[in-house]
Amino acid sequence: MRRVLLLGIIVFLLLAGCAPRPGGRIVYGLTLAPSGIDPHVNASSELGIPLTSVYDTLIYQDPETGEFVSGLAERWEVSDDGTVYTFYLKKGVKFHDGTPFNAEAVRFNLERITSPDLASQKARFMLGPYERTEVVDEYTVRIVLSEPFAPLLDSLSQVYLAMASPTAVEKWGDEYQLHQVGTGPFVFVEYVPGDHLLLRRNPDYSWGPPVYQHKTAQLDEVEFRFFTDPATRSPALETGEADVMGEIPPQDVARLEASPDFRVEAVALPGASLMMFMNTGRAPLDDIRVRQALLYGTDRAAIVSTIFKDTSPVAYGPLTAVTFGYDPTVQQYYPHDPERAAALLDEAGWVDTDGDGIRDRDGEPLVLDMVLMSWGYMPEIGQLLAAQWADLGVGVESRVVSYPEALEIAGNGGHHLIPFTLSGSDPDILRKFFHSQAFFNWSKVEDAELDGWLEEGARVSDKDQRVELYSQVQHRVMEEALVVPIRDYVNLNGVSERVQGLRFDGRGWFPWLIDVTLAER
Amino acid sequence: MGVGYVGRRLLSAVFVLWLAASLAFFALKLTPGDPAEALLAASGATPEEVAERRAQLGLDDPLWLQYVRYLTDLARGDLGQSWLHGRPVGRMVLEQLGPTVELAVAATGVGMALGIGLGTLAAVRRRTWVDTAATAVAVVGLSTPTYWSGLLAILFFSLHLRWFPATGEGGLRHLVLPAAVLGFALAGSIARLVRARVAEVLGSPFVLAARARGLPGRHVLFVHVLKAAAGPALAVTALQFGFLLGGAVVTETVFARRGLGRLAVEAILWRDLPVVRGVVLVGALAYVGVNLLADLLHAWLDPRLREGAS
Repeated sequence: MRRVLLLGIIVFLLLAGCAPRPGGRIVYGLTLAPSGIDPHVNASSELGIPLTSVYDTLIYQDPETGEFVSGLAERWEVSDDGTVYTFYLKKGVKFHDGTPFNAEAVRFNLERITSPDLASQKARFMLGPYERTEVVDEYTVRIVLSEPFAPLLDSLSQVYLAMASPTAVEKWGDEYQLHQVGTGPFVFVEYVPGDHLLLRRNPDYSWGPPVYQHKTAQLDEVEFRFFTDPATRSPALETGEADVMGEIPPQDVARLEASPDFRVEAVALPGASLMMFMNTGRAPLDDIRVRQALLYGTDRAAIVSTIFKDTSPVAYGPLTAVTFGYDPTVQQYYPHDPERAAALLDEAGWVDTDGDGIRDRDGEPLVLDMVLMSWGYMPEIGQLLAAQWADLGVGVESRVVSYPEALEIAGNGGHHLIPFTLSGSDPDILRKFFHSQAFFNWSKVEDAELDGWLEEGARVSDKDQRVELYSQVQHRVMEEALVVPIRDYVNLNGVSERVQGLRFDGRGWFPWLIDVTLAER
Repeated sequence: MGVGYVGRRLLSAVFVLWLAASLAFFALKLTPGDPAEALLAASGATPEEVAERRAQLGLDDPLWLQYVRYLTDLARGDLGQSWLHGRPVGRMVLEQLGPTVELAVAATGVGMALGIGLGTLAAVRRRTWVDTAATAVAVVGLSTPTYWSGLLAILFFSLHLRWFPATGEGGLRHLVLPAAVLGFALAGSIARLVRARVAEVLGSPFVLAARARGLPGRHVLFVHVLKAAAGPALAVTALQFGFLLGGAVVTETVFARRGLGRLAVEAILWRDLPVVRGVVLVGALAYVGVNLLADLLHAWLDPRLREGAS
């Protein structure tokens, strides 16, 4: 009995010792170089990591249910034809500079985003067929579209369409990104490009969305710093220079996990999986048998375990498994089967006649041109694929180029193979890859039916109907063997054990810092 | 050092700047990839919207018009606006200049001290093990890539010994590791030059004469030999300083410091041409300035140059 009591006391002390307390500050490691960080102008995913806590959006998405919930808008209505969205705004909301938030502020923000002078790189296009914003009364605002656009609610729940203080925007002009003012749980204190960004608790915050657990932020300050070199990210965590670090290299995960002071929070991202596009417009990949052979000849599990140390799931289709509309039946396609791959190549007339280990046909060797970009482990993946396909008798010549160069090469169809991925919470992202007019139509597919499904998916708002449409898209993409899916993107966050309550929004990128607390040690 | 000498040097400096600006302009035009597409492709913009942006950026205009516009803006001191950041380039470059100069100066200090020390030591103790050891250290410094020595320094001095912070900025302690790593790399080339020059001077008649007059060895070494050897060391350092301004990008990245190099790399990757041009121009400006200063110093140190010039 005494022993039990003693144990109880020890447990109590331990728990009390680790109890979270309000206040304190953390250093949060970001991984990109000093890009622009105005959410209305710039496109990087990194900017949303700090700024999600500086701003509020009209609505939020509950990551558990996928449902949209109230934000700065208490409720909203969509007209039957899907072109008019009416938002009823919360009252008593103030920007950090004291400017009141109202319908006029919403109109100001949307006008800013869509103004050609702002040269928005992302926000503008998330509004789709936006036409105008109408102020109905002080707390009612209407967004009018020229045609229905299903992803609009998803867009409005993202930081890129967050509400900025009109006063601050007008005051700072083209330097606004250094002086951002929102309505969120943290105030933007200062940003020294490339060095640090500092946020301080907003004590007046009380209008948070239901997905936030606290009414005001628990931490006093959050400092963001930039760690572009992957090799120094874990050391920075281990020396205590950062408390949270995004994009830990997979090979460091085991080491951090083994330490009692750190944990790794792996967040699966919705969006497109990392896939190798096969150019159906260029021989010999115009032959579906060759494309299917490459799929059967790929051991994705080996790639995921070698390069990603099994930290991310194997991808089977163009969408990651956590994306709305993902159809798990794509997993039936193309299990690793080298014999079948060889048979398909034989059937297509590719045989190694000269015994050099590379198949050939009519004197032409089966050598494919692979274009790679230097990030996202693409060169490593390319290398493993080349090795696996070499066993099939398929040669690969690869080159590493910059992103703009890749866009040019693949845009002109000058490749056989090129990998790419994008994250995004709506399955409409598939339209960026498989619509015949898309920039990333790097499979060079021209399929009127596919175009139709993708366009329809962007228009209809009925969820079941969308799920059905995107299921058809995913099956068509795999039946036609347009891509070799490799892995789902997983954001590996290294976290000090003193940091508690770290949660991410439905995009997997953006932390809800309001709920983060420090464990007492 | 007459007015004519300085005037000529200034004129040639302006010429170098124009050349650098023009080279940056045309070289970037030759790199493949469309900036407008790079900015917008992932956003879901339509091809028409990308074409609109291209026109807005002036990329549809004939090349000569773009060049003339660029030079006239430049003459007015306007470096333009970043396509990626949407901010004025001048201010962006200035922001990154401070930390870059700080690192370059510190690294140069380390490099000169270490390089002159090693080089002199090797020359004085020529063909002994001291010479071999000093030369070996110089070669290691010269040939070790900074991303590797930087990481090694972080692992040992930050993670293991916990003497210095691994990353970031904020005072002298943050500067020690990056400056040492970069300075070590610099020291190699300086040491080799100093060794050769000191060895040469040591055998020259005026040193023999000084020795014959009975001057103590230390006095000869410090007053006569090193003064003569300082010139070339200075020239190399000035050259390297130019590289440090734009080329410290690896060190900046490893130690998570901001700087011109990182700004330039990002801008090149995104075809953010105004920023690339801005960095090149500021780099050229600093390069020209430092070399001008080094030449004047050199002339002051070495009377022969002064007389030849005036």
